[in-house]
Amino acid sequence: MKELNALLHSQLRLAVMSILMNVADADFVYIKGITGATAGNLSVQLDKLSSAGYIEVKKEFVGKKPRTTCAITTLGREAFCEYVEALKEYIKL
Amino acid sequence: MEKEQFEEKESIELIADMIARTKHRLCIGDGNIMLLWGYLAVAVALLVWVLLVVLQHPAVNWLWFLIWIIGGSITPKLARKSRDKSGVTSYVDRVSNSVWSLVGWCSIIATFMCLGFMLFAAKDCWGVMMVFALLIVGMAEAVQGIVLQERSLIVGGAVGVVCGIFIMCCLVGGIMLYAHWCMPLFILAFVAMMIVPGHIINHKAKK
Repeated sequence: MKELNALLHSQLRLAVMSILMNVADADFVYIKGITGATAGNLSVQLDKLSSAGYIEVKKEFVGKKPRTTCAITTLGREAFCEYVEALKEYIKL
Repeated sequence: MEKEQFEEKESIELIADMIARTKHRLCIGDGNIMLLWGYLAVAVALLVWVLLVVLQHPAVNWLWFLIWIIGGSITPKLARKSRDKSGVTSYVDRVSNSVWSLVGWCSIIATFMCLGFMLFAAKDCWGVMMVFALLIVGMAEAVQGIVLQERSLIVGGAVGVVCGIFIMCCLVGGIMLYAHWCMPLFILAFVAMMIVPGHIINHKAKK
């Protein structure tokens, strides 16, 4: 039986990856709103996903406001698909 | 959502939940950009029509460029505002943006080509822009409607395509495009293509 990817087998990181699998890109506020996470926790988890190369984080200024936009990478997409396949084995779907 | 480890079954439920929550946003955006182009095209067409009747001078046709100038400068701002408001770009948005960017670039090329024919060959090809505005824009809108599964866009786009083909047949057949029938056709087509779907989309977005 395949082992579950430890990086993805965390509630918030998996939620972020699930959102980003479904959209081209999403900003920090949007992800925070959908997941209901705190800004600090979300920021830490985004850093972990970004360090693993699963997501791309772009920081920019819109007018005077900073904006963080996240998008899933090809590596992240593959990891997510593998994770779902492994999950299927675990729960015998 | 602070739990670090959780059950496999919960993972599936979480993925399904996140997909469902983002899916809601994918339904439809707002129709403000369509309304801008629709009302702008209709207003400029009315202005050109009235001035053509009153002044009887072909130079009035330069006013058509107002659609291009005003629409082209306001659209990026509206698009940016809409994107900032929603905080997300869906794949549908991306397809839609690409299609309309393509239409925009084609219109720039078509305009310069007509200008070139007028300046260097003394040929009036501006009727092509009428075909372009109806046929290509209608086609792009119908494609957007198919992607968004929005019937008003498909129907509006189809109206534009039919009107565009009609104008093209007139041009090829040497039938003069007189303002007294050409302008109302253009205005009606833009009402069907942009204004009606724009209001329907805004109404749905509000719901």
